[in-house]
Amino acid sequence: MKVLTLVMLLCYSFAFSSGDTTIHTNNWAVLVCTSRFWFNYRHMANTLSLYRTVKRLGIPDERIILMLADDMACNARNEYPAQVFNNENHKLNLYGDNVEVDYRGYEVTVENFLRVLTGRHENAVPRSKRLLSDEGSHILLYMTGHGGDEFLKFQDAEELQSHDLADAVKQMKEKRRFKELMIMVDTCQAATLFNQLQSPDVLAIGSSLKGENSYSHHLDSDVGVSVVDRFTYYTLAFFERLNIYDNASLNSLFRSYDPKLLMSTAYYRTDLYQPHLAEVPVTNFFGSVMETLHTDSVYKAFSSKTSNNKINSEMPLNQLSEHDELQKANIQNDELKTEKQKCPYTQMRVDLHKKLEKLENVDTVVNLGIAVMLLVVMVSSSLL
Amino acid sequence: MASLIRSWIPLLILQSFLVAIAFGSKEAEEFSEALLLKPLPDRKVLAHFHFENRAPPSNSHGRHHHLFPKAISQLVQKFRVKEMELSFTQGRWNHEHWGGFDPLSSMNAKPVGVELWAVFDVPQSQVDTSWKNLTHALSGLFCASINFLESSTSYAAPTWGFGTNSDKLRYGSLPREAVCTENLTPWLKLLPCRDKDGISALMNRPSVYRGFYHSQRLHLSTVESGQEGLGSGIVLEQTLTVVLQPETTSVETNMQPSWSLSSLFGRKVVGSCVLAKSSNVYLQLEGRLGHESKNVDTEIEAHKLWKNADFDLSLKPDRVLRESSSLLFIFDIDKSSDSEPFDLGLTWKLPSKWSCQQAPLQATRFLMGSGNERGAIAILLKATESQEKLPGRVVTDGRCTIKANIFQIFPWYVKVYYHTLQIFVDQQQKTDCEVLKKINVSPSTDKVSSGMLEMMLELPCEVKSAAISIEYDKGFLHIDEYPPDANQGFDIPSALISFPSHHASLDFQEELSKSPLLSSFKEKSLVRSYTEVLLVPLTTPDFSMPYNVITITCTIFALYFGSLLNVLRRRIGEEERFLKSQGKKTFGLKQLLSRLTAKIRGRPIEPPSSDSPAAQSSFLSSKLIFKIILVAGAAAAWQYFSTDN
Repeated sequence: MKVLTLVMLLCYSFAFSSGDTTIHTNNWAVLVCTSRFWFNYRHMANTLSLYRTVKRLGIPDERIILMLADDMACNARNEYPAQVFNNENHKLNLYGDNVEVDYRGYEVTVENFLRVLTGRHENAVPRSKRLLSDEGSHILLYMTGHGGDEFLKFQDAEELQSHDLADAVKQMKEKRRFKELMIMVDTCQAATLFNQLQSPDVLAIGSSLKGENSYSHHLDSDVGVSVVDRFTYYTLAFFERLNIYDNASLNSLFRSYDPKLLMSTAYYRTDLYQPHLAEVPVTNFFGSVMETLHTDSVYKAFSSKTSNNKINSEMPLNQLSEHDELQKANIQNDELKTEKQKCPYTQMRVDLHKKLEKLENVDTVVNLGIAVMLLVVMVSSSLL
Repeated sequence: MASLIRSWIPLLILQSFLVAIAFGSKEAEEFSEALLLKPLPDRKVLAHFHFENRAPPSNSHGRHHHLFPKAISQLVQKFRVKEMELSFTQGRWNHEHWGGFDPLSSMNAKPVGVELWAVFDVPQSQVDTSWKNLTHALSGLFCASINFLESSTSYAAPTWGFGTNSDKLRYGSLPREAVCTENLTPWLKLLPCRDKDGISALMNRPSVYRGFYHSQRLHLSTVESGQEGLGSGIVLEQTLTVVLQPETTSVETNMQPSWSLSSLFGRKVVGSCVLAKSSNVYLQLEGRLGHESKNVDTEIEAHKLWKNADFDLSLKPDRVLRESSSLLFIFDIDKSSDSEPFDLGLTWKLPSKWSCQQAPLQATRFLMGSGNERGAIAILLKATESQEKLPGRVVTDGRCTIKANIFQIFPWYVKVYYHTLQIFVDQQQKTDCEVLKKINVSPSTDKVSSGMLEMMLELPCEVKSAAISIEYDKGFLHIDEYPPDANQGFDIPSALISFPSHHASLDFQEELSKSPLLSSFKEKSLVRSYTEVLLVPLTTPDFSMPYNVITITCTIFALYFGSLLNVLRRRIGEEERFLKSQGKKTFGLKQLLSRLTAKIRGRPIEPPSSDSPAAQSSFLSSKLIFKIILVAGAAAAWQYFSTDN
């Protein structure tokens, strides 16, 4: 019996401890335009459109890292100085009066991009250039530029490979720099960039499949170049209808992409992401909407979001009745946990824990365990 | 005990009250805003925004301020900055038409891109560290890549050529830095009213960046309090200089264009910033004194000044000041409101011409030589028309001379040979000792530090032109040191020409005026001008070379082996036979035609080819089987070897 307990204990210690107990506390966005030169105007317009959208939906400037590889707004070729448009009707100046560019020009390199993601900066680097996310952060990573099979070009000089991206994400996960990460890429063969991703809680969406190109939407003859890409254009078309209180789900965003209009097939990689997409509002990534819970007592900590306060695509987030919330507030945290975790594995874990506590002579158990381990090692080595 | 405390309480209250009074009576933080408008001779209009923020010495260590931006005060505290200037500029100041000998141009004509210099109050060994940290902090604050100035290859420590003598001075410039809205916005956020109210509300981004020249400057200096325990006060001066082209409908080319604030900026001033101590708009007109009477005591005379045959002002100035060659109209904008916005306009009625005062020598710089190996840099100083009239000539030993300082930084990949320095005065080569009074050279080290050249020239007053040339070799960079757009070329930062014996100042002879803008004009400022940025094309590698090599090699291999195999493996006879049999089967129409012709001619049809289809099929099948076996064998072998590993 003791040996069995021990083996189970060993198994448990090797297993990945799923400590998904943190709640979503903040939102970050990293928006990257990797293309230099005037004819890539549309890539900057793409990025600035997304910048405007996430700002409108509530992410403040200090939580947005904006990387623009070239200066289009005050470019000598720009007919409209200090203005960038993503539509030929010129109704909306994306550059506005209050834009904060964190990395620009020659600073937009693969090295700096990976440094931002992994947080490995020099000491002198100011806070505004750092991604100071934590384990409760939802991060939106948007990238646009020219790419190919499993790579994305930076300024026509360097490449970010899918392996680099996957490694950076893995490192971020290990450093607990995010709770959930959404990667959105608008480039040719965008789907291939996600091939190496392995880390959990990552959702990826690309504008085109392998072998497909991502096309620009339309040409502005006043500016003289194409001003927006198709994928971003239709993403924006979806978001322009939303405000901060809308509860459109990610599923409805994904369903809004029409391959005929995009002239490419949008690709979603959802196998690393557990929640059901129909229940995740887009503002989880593209905005910053915090839940407000009314509690009777102050400083009552909630260890985790319960599954019943998730919304579906039709029901708005803020329609939760106050009654529900009061009830939740009254329930003890521990009870919440046990109620939620009913899977056999956790049950086994609890049993094990109880048995361990009952044991009197722990030392002998440890010794026995070491002996069993040695035996196992010997047998396995002789077999091989 | 209790009674003792009770007796102390009123005393304590009194004491705190006294302290409050003492602090209240002390110098408070002051902010003032001003806008100077000036029509330029070449039909453009200069707008110069000037904001000054003063923080008196306090012992709060930058933790608390009323008006002064905390970000700047913390910067000063942390890096112990004594004096600092940061400027963002696009466009080139036209010294000929916009003036070169007034405080405005000597302070606000800046080199293209970003220029930063700072004097630190730290031990000599820590200056470089402070500089590095300062550049990073500023890059975060102003959304620019100022952090590229941290590397020792991009900055220098001028000794005397820059005009500020200090061994704790560091200077660096980034000629290619873009300047746009994202740099102006954080700069505006340092103002107490931001761009929401007061004069700064005029700064409509598209109008500012449409201009011919815009330079945004931030200058801060610390004032030692002299008292023990108190920190130092800080004076922060922020200026934005814009040269705009007013839109005109008139066809006459000699007529100056009329303009108003709303036509220049698309906005009007609605009220002053309530936090500002003074907010004024100035209009400076040059060369307006010839046909004006000297004494303007009467009301009618004063009225004539702003509404006359030459021009009309849309608003009545509150005061008029005069200087040796220019008139200054002063407007208070406190009275303006939402219902009655301040919109100053100037309408010209008659063509008018004037010229600006120029620096004694006008400097240009250019490259000489061709090819990708070597070249030469030349700086040409040309005498201007106004040279003779200017004060500041130095007469030594019966000779009249003009002093000129040249300060220049060379990036390390421009390898300058200092022994090739040549000086020509009026096309005649001079030996160094004749004109060169002082020279300081710090040679560059490859990939470690940039080179610096400081020279003091003493030229005769009647000089027409002076040229300085120096030769250089172009260096090679490592492949990953090239920027993404290496083919565009590399920039050599502007050289600074200053005239140490000439000082520009404008004195409007008004003692009452406490306007920071006017008092800054009153101070004698060193006359200086920056030259153009030079673009040096360096040898760049073919960045796509590896790919090209792979492609070409593969093509050659494919051609070679393909043709070789073709020659070796081809069996022409068999192919012909195969084609014939194919032809039999496929070309039914042809067969039919041949039969028809045969019938017509009365001959029998040609017999079919000797190969029977059965034999051919068996041959084909045996070949196929052989192929399959070969492939299977290869696969098995592969499997065997790969598993063995």
